[in-house]
Amino acid sequence: MTVFIILALVAIITALGMLISRNAVYSALFLVLNFATVAVFYLLLGAPFIAITQVTVYAGAIMVLFLFVIMLLGTDELEDTDNLTWQRPLAIGLAVVLVVEGIYLMLSQNTLGFITTPSEDLGSPQAIGDMLFSKYLLPFEATSILLLVAMVGAIVLTVKNKKGEQS
Amino acid sequence: MTESDFATRLNDRFPEGVTADEREGYQGYIIAADKLIEFATALRDEFEFDYLSSVTGVDYPDEGKLEAVYHAYKTIGGAELVFKVQTDRENPEIPSLIDIYPGADFQEREAWDLLGIKFTGHPDLRRILLWEGFEGHPLRKDWQEAYYEADKKPFKSRWPKAEYTRAEAKNPYGANVKYPDKFDPEKWVPEGEDALYGSLAKYETTDKDGLKTDHLTVNLGPQHPSTHGVFRIAATLDGEKIMNLNPVMGYLHRNHEKIGERNTYLQNMPFTDRLDYLSSLSNNFGYAIAVEKLIGIEVPERAEYIRVIMAELTRVQNHLFAIGMFLNDIGAFFTPSLYAIEERELVLDVFEMVTGSRMMCNYLRFGGLARDLPDGSLQKIRDLVFDRLPRKTDEMDRFLSENEILRSRTVGQGYLSTEDAIKYSAAGPVLRASGVPYDIRRADPYSIYDRFKFDVAVRYNGDIYDRYYIRLDEIRESIKILQQAVEQIPEGEIQTGKPRYQMKVPKGESYGRVEGPKGELGFYLVSDGTGNPYRYHVRAPSFINLTAFGPMCKGLKVADVVAVLGSIDIVLGETDR
Amino acid sequence: MDSALIWEMVIKSLVLILALLTGFAYLTYYERRGLARIQSRVGPNRAGPAGLLQPIADAVKLIFKEEFTPGQAYKVIFILAPIITVIPAILITATVPWGGTVTIGGREVMLGIADINIGVLYIMSVASIAVYGVVLAGWASNNKYAMMGGLRSTAQMISYELALGLSFVGVILLANSMRMTEIVEAQRGLWFAFLQPVGAVVFFFATLAELNRGPFDMPEAEQELSAGYNVEYSGMKFALFFMAEYTKMVSISAIIATLFWGGYRGPFIDTMPGLGPLYMFIKIFFILFMMIWVRASWPRIRYDRLMDLGWKILLPLSLSLVFINATGILLNQMWLIPLLSIGAGFLAIQAINLSLRRKENAR
Repeated sequence: MTVFIILALVAIITALGMLISRNAVYSALFLVLNFATVAVFYLLLGAPFIAITQVTVYAGAIMVLFLFVIMLLGTDELEDTDNLTWQRPLAIGLAVVLVVEGIYLMLSQNTLGFITTPSEDLGSPQAIGDMLFSKYLLPFEATSILLLVAMVGAIVLTVKNKKGEQS
Repeated sequence: MTESDFATRLNDRFPEGVTADEREGYQGYIIAADKLIEFATALRDEFEFDYLSSVTGVDYPDEGKLEAVYHAYKTIGGAELVFKVQTDRENPEIPSLIDIYPGADFQEREAWDLLGIKFTGHPDLRRILLWEGFEGHPLRKDWQEAYYEADKKPFKSRWPKAEYTRAEAKNPYGANVKYPDKFDPEKWVPEGEDALYGSLAKYETTDKDGLKTDHLTVNLGPQHPSTHGVFRIAATLDGEKIMNLNPVMGYLHRNHEKIGERNTYLQNMPFTDRLDYLSSLSNNFGYAIAVEKLIGIEVPERAEYIRVIMAELTRVQNHLFAIGMFLNDIGAFFTPSLYAIEERELVLDVFEMVTGSRMMCNYLRFGGLARDLPDGSLQKIRDLVFDRLPRKTDEMDRFLSENEILRSRTVGQGYLSTEDAIKYSAAGPVLRASGVPYDIRRADPYSIYDRFKFDVAVRYNGDIYDRYYIRLDEIRESIKILQQAVEQIPEGEIQTGKPRYQMKVPKGESYGRVEGPKGELGFYLVSDGTGNPYRYHVRAPSFINLTAFGPMCKGLKVADVVAVLGSIDIVLGETDR
Repeated sequence: MDSALIWEMVIKSLVLILALLTGFAYLTYYERRGLARIQSRVGPNRAGPAGLLQPIADAVKLIFKEEFTPGQAYKVIFILAPIITVIPAILITATVPWGGTVTIGGREVMLGIADINIGVLYIMSVASIAVYGVVLAGWASNNKYAMMGGLRSTAQMISYELALGLSFVGVILLANSMRMTEIVEAQRGLWFAFLQPVGAVVFFFATLAELNRGPFDMPEAEQELSAGYNVEYSGMKFALFFMAEYTKMVSISAIIATLFWGGYRGPFIDTMPGLGPLYMFIKIFFILFMMIWVRASWPRIRYDRLMDLGWKILLPLSLSLVFINATGILLNQMWLIPLLSIGAGFLAIQAINLSLRRKENAR
């Protein structure tokens, strides 16, 4: 329980840090830390596979690409563009509504006591693999096709760019 | 076409503005400044002098004149053509030849820097060897350096009693440097930097979709591991692609030529060692030839043979080093270079045995040599050139030349076309790798090179790989020459007349050039009949080969710049002088 | 968890970390001597007998060196970056088994820290966050060379992680498990390096790229970027980068040994499980020598060619290797795997040659 509270605090602080930080690189780093904490949550919940995947995919690949782009563009320091005058209060208002709603749900449903430790091999790689290739085969394949399309799209974009250079 | 034929043709073509130089001991032609462009164009297009080797200047304060001196050659071989342009000393302006011979670029900048000749029409006439806040033009005769003592050595204050005072005692720190008016070195911002960056491409380009691309300006150097010394490359990059590039040099400048003009003729002999410190014997050779032309002294047979042997050994060891360091530049972690250096050490052993020194050999004298070959040294050379060196060269060839990474890094990269190589006055291996079979040992033979059978190494692709491989070829050709030389070497004298400290050098000018390992090494001397050279100019191949560096690198990646630089093979001691 | 188990874990971790750090120190010595031998020199031989105290002398020198922080650097990250680099280098060995189970003082002790069912994935994920240190060092130094080094390493690591991960998949298929001990036990009959030789080679190349070792040492590239991402670092901070690189070398060698070269297995291992660490040491020793050898003999590949190699050759090759493995297992014809994979390897080499020749013909 203490572990959970500490981690929760870290997760909240890093999330806030990511939002508040003026420097894009710092924001990205806070986000990485946040992902790492979330990964530890998964571990605590007995899902090491998802935890490790979280670290590999989000912290290890996606955020590295983010950093890459930030550095390449040289936009580390965000300019103080405050032309979003009306969005800010609206966003805060909506966020408050969301939090209140969440708290209300948690208190009214009172499901906290019913969380049970999942069975040993629920999060094991074998179990996940079995699930993916039997019950969730269609979504799995659909996702892979989506990713393939995205990849092809990226390649097409760069190829077009190259031709433009030559002419 | 004989000499006089040429003179008549030239006279017909230019009835005015071109006159033969009839001063005592001088050759060539004096061109009127306003005829220069026309003359040079005709020279290149009609008279086949397509290769401008050297541009320099001489200061004649007594006549109130500055004179620019040009040496041009035909790449099909033959003797040089010297032409000069005289201009007023107070307001020296000469049209720039950069459009006709782009190889004049750096040399004209050097002449502007050191002599203050303004080349009108030069697009980027900045100082090149000295810094932008420098006061005066040091090669002018009235310019005096800090701690100036006297015009000529040996200084009366020190000679013959060898007394000296420390220069700082006469002149406290800070009081010995001259600055331009209103110049505060503490607050000085180098405006030259802006000019330098301004000479590069634009910072931003816009592509077809309207996306702006910011270019990065990167300085490789002055402190950089692969610039072979204190050398700087200012480059604008698009990602890692080189958009434009400007070499910046002069960090090792010591005004070699001014010091050389203070020295006596013989004092310059060890001083030439310090130019290209990897190949001191070739430097000695070039200087000795220039002075011997002035004096008109013959060199004994045996001495000529020893000179050739030493010069060719110098070429072998220089190329070994160049190949090793080039491999290092493309990222082979020291292994090839150390194997090359192992062989080079053996050659240096010979140098040490013969001359007493491994690098600063100071071996040649006017009309001969400092000393004869010691016992056993010839046998040592024989062992090297008949056994060890050919074997090891083949071994290096076998291990390196077919390496896939080396090939993929070098083949087709850093291309220099035949026309460009000639245009930019590239010399030596750089020129020959671009398909110009121009080797001074064949094209305009000096010493006894006409007696040996060897081929001029030439390759036709003009890329980094060819510039690398031609050095292996040249090592093999040099070994051929060495094998003949050690077989044929006669007994006999090694010095004409008595060795003397002070030579009587008649008035006149001379240009002595040798095929140094890095290219055409020329020494332009003007004598006023005294014991010191009036003008002493070095045509440094490392310096002039760099003219083609920028064009070679355009469009390559950052990593290739280093490879291109390694393939040109510069030594900063010679580049900066 | 009883306290004895915790104590066991702590002691094992300490021993491993100490072994890694000593290993790092002596790896520098080993590399310098090895390079020297290859380059016909002597190498460090002054400090102690045969130069054996050289790493200590180096450490003392580095500790007393001035720590220099550039004025324009991002201080916090500049200081954190070396630390971030070292941690994954040490963490990554946690799942590597160093031997079977031995009995010490009546207690069954597994030689290895953690034997989890996702051991291979764990290695993947730690390897993937190792890039942060380099990237952040490059960015925080606020130096163009460092920046370019950082950018290069990002791109390089992401590219080669794919080939690396797919080689992992091949091993997982062959062993039918992600647990490291089971992978080792699956090599009881035949080491995977013989069953899947091309996979072992691809894995070796990919790890060289991950380690930033020659001929893939782009981020450092002494000749181009003068030292790349660590150009602004000095003293102990630089030593940490150095330490990370060499510790990683040891760790990765251990992983290579485990995945492809039978791990702790060797003759008599079943009767004397205590021999496990010894076999591991010998295997690591040889793999490290391979790395040193490669560094000593090959020039650096240019950056764009490196990317080409990663994306256009190694990625399809390792993908096809996965298929080959799967086919062999499905048909239950294990002899197909080495045969087909060597064929695929030849195709890849042909592809490299072809692209080279095309470039040469284009000149």
